[in-house]
Amino acid sequence: MKKSKWALGAAAILALSVALAGCGGGDKKGDAKSGGVKGELMVYTSIYPDIIDNMCKPNVSKAFPDMKVNWFQGGTEKVVTKITGEIKAKKIAADVLMVADPSYYLKLNDQKLLLPYKSKEEANLINDKADDGAWYAVRVCNMIIAYNGDKLKAEDAPKTWQDLTDPKWKGKIAMPNPMLSGTAYVAVGALADKYGWEYFDKLKANGIRVEEGNSAIQNKLLTGEYAAAMILEENILKLANTKKEPLKVSYPTDGVIQVPSPIAIFNTTKNPEGAKALVDWWLSKEGQEAVVKGWMHSVRGDVKEPLGAPATKTLTDGKIKVDWRKLADNNAQIKEEFRKRVMDK
Amino acid sequence: MLSSRINSKTIVISLSVILLLYFVIFPMGILLFDSVMKDGAINLENYRNVYSADVNWRALTNTVELSLMVMVASVIITFPLAWLVGRTDMPGKKAYRTLLVSSYMIPPYVGAIAWVQLLNPSVGYLNNIFKFIFGLETAPFDIYTFWGLAWVLTLFYSPFAFITISRAMEKMDPTLEEAARVSGASPLRTVFDVTLPLMAPSILAGGLLVFIAAGSCFGIPSIVGMPGNIEVMTTRIVTYIYMGDDAGVRDSTALAASLMFIANFLLMGMTWMMGRKDYTTISGKSTRPNIVELGKWKWPAFCAVGLYGAIAVIIPLGSIVLTSFLKSMSKPITWSNLGIEPWIPVITSAQYMESVWNSVIYGVIAATIGTLVALFVAYLAVKTQIKGRSIPDLLVVIGGSTPSIVIALALIITFSGNFGLNLYSTMWIIIVSYLVKYMTMSVRTIAAALSQVHVSLEEAALNSGANWLRCCKDIIIPLIAPSVIAGWFLIFMPSFYELTMSLLLYGSDTKTIGVLLYELQTYADTQNASVLSVIILMIVLIGNLILNKVSKGNVGI
Repeated sequence: MKKSKWALGAAAILALSVALAGCGGGDKKGDAKSGGVKGELMVYTSIYPDIIDNMCKPNVSKAFPDMKVNWFQGGTEKVVTKITGEIKAKKIAADVLMVADPSYYLKLNDQKLLLPYKSKEEANLINDKADDGAWYAVRVCNMIIAYNGDKLKAEDAPKTWQDLTDPKWKGKIAMPNPMLSGTAYVAVGALADKYGWEYFDKLKANGIRVEEGNSAIQNKLLTGEYAAAMILEENILKLANTKKEPLKVSYPTDGVIQVPSPIAIFNTTKNPEGAKALVDWWLSKEGQEAVVKGWMHSVRGDVKEPLGAPATKTLTDGKIKVDWRKLADNNAQIKEEFRKRVMDK
Repeated sequence: MLSSRINSKTIVISLSVILLLYFVIFPMGILLFDSVMKDGAINLENYRNVYSADVNWRALTNTVELSLMVMVASVIITFPLAWLVGRTDMPGKKAYRTLLVSSYMIPPYVGAIAWVQLLNPSVGYLNNIFKFIFGLETAPFDIYTFWGLAWVLTLFYSPFAFITISRAMEKMDPTLEEAARVSGASPLRTVFDVTLPLMAPSILAGGLLVFIAAGSCFGIPSIVGMPGNIEVMTTRIVTYIYMGDDAGVRDSTALAASLMFIANFLLMGMTWMMGRKDYTTISGKSTRPNIVELGKWKWPAFCAVGLYGAIAVIIPLGSIVLTSFLKSMSKPITWSNLGIEPWIPVITSAQYMESVWNSVIYGVIAATIGTLVALFVAYLAVKTQIKGRSIPDLLVVIGGSTPSIVIALALIITFSGNFGLNLYSTMWIIIVSYLVKYMTMSVRTIAAALSQVHVSLEEAALNSGANWLRCCKDIIIPLIAPSVIAGWFLIFMPSFYELTMSLLLYGSDTKTIGVLLYELQTYADTQNASVLSVIILMIVLIGNLILNKVSKGNVGI
């Protein structure tokens, strides 16, 4: 009997998909060359992709010509979800981790997943670090209040976090959702500690809108849908300076909420020397220049603040104190408390 | 001869079922198993936890109400549309068909942003226009409400129903309708008494697809519902996952289980309802379906469909296109504020072509494998008498009704080498994720179409000495070809711009267009993201046009 071509084709595609799938995966070993660090390195980061592509990739490959550094880039929560899966599968593919929320590193360290390391750049650093060297702050983000300069004069803009509870902003204010954004979670924890949960009751009474993330807020400040909002400083600096949009930062006089985002090495790494060298690079002047180009603040005393921002030290001195241990241990409770008070109808 | 016939059938079907079980069902099973086991013992604490919280119950009722509402609205809207476009002499049918499926080619998260821009209560474009025209004090519409959410979901997911229903209609046996007309029934009466009941399998299938898509999507509820404090299941599930620890994963799976259960329950209900009747409308005597002459209703119908198209597609699409030419989002829409500036960084980016190409390849592979497997799985369920034949068919719904982020997590755990294959960071894990999520689209569409093919045709072919695969190729597939093609597109399109799973699963060489879109949206500007959506839409429309021309109208949506 004549076999149908189509039948063969169908069977072939099905069989091929199994076969091809089987070829996937597997580790590639980098060739060892003489001098410096070698091999491969996988970095998971939430740093903006344009910074990675334009600043980090070329400079890092110049600094470590024999090491192949791969970057996985995504929002903090996406990266954390990926790592959660990898931890469950007991196959952590990342060597170095750079996400926003510092309290996540405390949790990782509790699970004994981080590799302690004393960086040679330590003397130059002025921001947070783990006592046991499990992580270093590598970039500083600030939660601030932003407004649209075309629609609001500087003297009318909210000056403090408390100002947001003023009835004149009723229905015109917003903040990112702490369930979906790590930096917003830090802000909620810090403000709840400083002003009590009643502060959020007042925000709720003032009709605050909770948005998915910083980018939604930034757009709605632009269109004038919101008059003022809680958002990350870097979003505003970038838009104001590169696109000449009229967004302005109001640095709350009762303190910015500073998020010193860490860098850390997983102790499952196959290339500890390479990972350490990369941590040193990030903490070096060159690495920190890249951070500042991304509109975030540096952790070194000898690197200037980003364009259009006040001196890092002024912000750091006035910042609201954050209890990182509490944020790491009471994650579910803090989020639920916020949800009950602000997001329940 | 008899043995070779049985063999080819058994082999192909078993291969499909094995693929389905290993790649689609198994990962979800691992996660579910993990959610009931803790430290080697059955532990249902997490189920007790999540289902004792009021907010989760509220989210569940919200999701069920929303999805049912969107499902019913979609069927009510799309059945007449499908009938007018597929079975009448309404002018402009072809253009309308393309228009009506266009909203399905816009990534839903981009479309949701467009609707927020149009209908937000403080500065929404449409609200401002209405305020101006009617001299209103306050905005007439507020998108951040339950109704706003239902509106956006309906517009974006009703094409699932439209594609499923309209394709099945084209292959319908006209003799029953003719009988009704000859007996004196009016055209409208014929539709209600004959066409509608006969189309039940496709209507139910299309409705179920809409239900599943609306219930398991995260993008639209987070953009439209969240500012209005409307919680749905997916926002709760993502909240648990983002806790970033083991407990969070187990809680989220426990919560996701109810979505899987509801979808399966609904599907079983539908299967049972249909099992009691005979829906075969494609038999050996079929000719081309007859075209109903609308007479004086011709132009009113044309206008009604045009109005719907304008509201559902042209307005949001226009808003996206306009946004893609806006120099500054903070300034009003004036000539001086329009320009090609937002297009330049997107077009000149080297990444962009590579990502488009990757997405096309992954989409085509996922759609082709998915459709083939779906065909055999649907055949197994609908056309054989094997015990447990409908189990694989039912199981596929589990993947479809699960939020994308849960699927991605399940795949990371399953395919990083602990259970045989290591697909991590390869293109295959991305393709598998598309299959898990979207295969149900294809299976439902094809199963519905298959249930309308009379078994006598297949028997005739087999009796004439054709083997089973030959019979598939020459009899079954041609008879349900429109639905097979529709099924293929129903997997391809959402895979093409898929965002959440691709974002978690991409490797350094496997960046997709969804990942790029996410980057543009989050780190660059809304304008750049709109540019990319416009480009996606153009690629799909042009691709569709070429396919249509090359195949003389046989392939395409």
